[in-house]
Amino acid sequence: MISLEHQFEENVLTTKVDWLLNWARLSSIWPMTFGLACCAIEMMAVGAAHHDIDRFGAGAFRASPRQADLMIVAGTVNFKMAERVKRLYDQMPSPKYVIAMGACATGGGPYYKFGYTVVKGVDRVIPVDVYIAGCPPRPEALLEGLMKLQEKIRNSSVIRKPARLA
Amino acid sequence: MDFQGLHDRLLAINAPGLVGTDEPRKPNPKDKKDKGRAGDPFVIVDAQQLVLFLEVCRDDDRLCFEQLIDITATDPSKDGADLWINVSLLSLKFRHRLQIKCLLPKSAAELPSTVRVYRASQWNERECAEMFGIKFVGHPDPRNILLPDDWLGFPLRKDYEFPKEYHGISCE
Amino acid sequence: MSERTPTISFGSAVPAGGGEVTIDIRTPDLEINFGPQHPATHGVMRILMRTDGELVTGAQPHLGYLHRCAEKIGENVEWLQYLPYTDRYDYLASMNNNLGYSLAVEALLGVEIPRRATLIRIICAELNRIGSHLVAFGTYGLDIGAFTPFLYTFREREWMMALFEKICGARLTYSYIRIGGVFNDAPPGWFEEVARFCDVFDVKWQEYVDLLLVNQIFVKRTANIGVISREMALDFALTGPMLRGSGVDWDLRRDMPYMCYGEIWRDGAYKIPVARGEMGALGDCWDRAWVRVQEMIESIKIVRWCLDHMVDGPVIGELPKTLKVPTGEVYVGIENPRGELGHYLVSDGGKVSVRTRVRGPMCTNHAVLEDILPGALVGDAIAIIGSTDIVVGETDR
Repeated sequence: MISLEHQFEENVLTTKVDWLLNWARLSSIWPMTFGLACCAIEMMAVGAAHHDIDRFGAGAFRASPRQADLMIVAGTVNFKMAERVKRLYDQMPSPKYVIAMGACATGGGPYYKFGYTVVKGVDRVIPVDVYIAGCPPRPEALLEGLMKLQEKIRNSSVIRKPARLA
Repeated sequence: MDFQGLHDRLLAINAPGLVGTDEPRKPNPKDKKDKGRAGDPFVIVDAQQLVLFLEVCRDDDRLCFEQLIDITATDPSKDGADLWINVSLLSLKFRHRLQIKCLLPKSAAELPSTVRVYRASQWNERECAEMFGIKFVGHPDPRNILLPDDWLGFPLRKDYEFPKEYHGISCE
Repeated sequence: MSERTPTISFGSAVPAGGGEVTIDIRTPDLEINFGPQHPATHGVMRILMRTDGELVTGAQPHLGYLHRCAEKIGENVEWLQYLPYTDRYDYLASMNNNLGYSLAVEALLGVEIPRRATLIRIICAELNRIGSHLVAFGTYGLDIGAFTPFLYTFREREWMMALFEKICGARLTYSYIRIGGVFNDAPPGWFEEVARFCDVFDVKWQEYVDLLLVNQIFVKRTANIGVISREMALDFALTGPMLRGSGVDWDLRRDMPYMCYGEIWRDGAYKIPVARGEMGALGDCWDRAWVRVQEMIESIKIVRWCLDHMVDGPVIGELPKTLKVPTGEVYVGIENPRGELGHYLVSDGGKVSVRTRVRGPMCTNHAVLEDILPGALVGDAIAIIGSTDIVVGETDR
């Protein structure tokens, strides 16, 4: 096999399809505006100038789920809202990711006991990729969660491994 | 006006439904069980005449309660027979407040709606109705406000049992 | 929603080769869901709007998407354990919520609050008022379509949150103002930093006015829109900037004073801004935005007074280890950034309350939407909803 490196000019990059697709996806994760409760204020603070989320490529908050990649569930989900969360999740096109931000979205939060209408964790309704702890989590924690999601995307693959023969 | 002045005025104008008052008192040194009562004084009003009482409070020019700050309910104990309706009124002109309490039997929890006197009670009455099972007769829109429409039970009553699941999502 | 059959009528004597044809087509009203997920709803609020083209003909708010059972929790946890839940109903004004609850429990307990604690409480409450109005004002611009003021208001807000982080460790939900006083004393240098914040803010608020408040586009979008008359404001029991925006001169800090607000008022340190209908009808959306900006300026004056009169001493009163509140019932209302926050507590002498009723300002402020939205265009409806400064955590508790 002839090595193709050093045969081209310096501004041509050879890489794997996976790497390229993943790099494109993780550099422009567009979240949906889905702030429910107190964590939404910290999400707004992340979107503001001090803890800029735009430098991660994720600054374009889309209002419509049909144009978004990421749903940051920021706040408490209760039963009345759970049906809407499911519907919004279904409306998002693949590949889609979910970050459960805060103690309420992760596991019910302070309303775990005696909260009769609170869903104890949004993962009872939709599949979650990254959980962020805190009540509310600091904006830096949300950024770390975003970076963890980027790591998860970086390690994912669209190429199916060929089936074993014999 | 202080509470005594308000009560005297209510008696003077023959406010409908006025049953009595309950004022804070110090603990009784002779009776160990009587620990006294702290907090605010309030007037006790008959629940079925609450609407007329509120109308008088709003229209009288010495009381002049322009705002109904809150109308809510309380379930004082699991074994008790009564619910309380608590109303809080505020007068901006004279800078005084009035706390009102009505007793309502749990078995027949119905009273006329106060929406025609103060629009402010519209949503609060809906909340009382769904949380305690109280029926406000004549309310223009008695749907559930905070709970889903098919919620079972009255959550703020003391004998409420927490649900195990709702629409397939577990509550445990 | 009524289906009307289309009628077609032709102009009389249509000339050959040209002319006008009028077709009169009636269309049914459209019912659209505004929320619960929407960039301009300030949380999970849903309004079922009926529109005839762009004109809103009916609006029905639906709540309950953030109902977190605060009142039931109050009946099951101990008095001090309930404090973190108070932070979370109006999450933009956590200090004020803590304050309202603590004052109500202290009214039943009859405990004496040290002077230093009272002054620190007032500083924190007023700084939180500034923070809350910054969010209200910034996101109001965002709703109308102006992105830049949002970034400017959050710049000051970050400083305010850094101040709170130094004193109690949290940025948003503080649980700092406890029953009996405050949690712990201010660290050294904190008061100097608050004074520096006041000096800087005294200059910066002019930026908000220049950028947004007197901006001709903002004025055109908000003046004469969503007018709430004085009678409607009183009938609906509106409180806070919504009441003062309709020209009613009422503020609990001055008229039914708690802590030492009465003393600060008698010293002439602050004024209560009441709208005068400068840009349009009295009680429109611009008036409410104006009241909020003015309140921020007055809060700085109150903070300065407290810094000037600060004393040394303990920051928490004498309380037993297990708190048992005497039998009784009390209602205490304070001035939250959004209006009157009232706590009605019933105690039977035990460790747990019998009834914790939270009367949030949004209970009544939100209800007025049903009456002021019809008759507005859809774009104006956004402006009206933004001007009521809704925080759904408070409406739903």
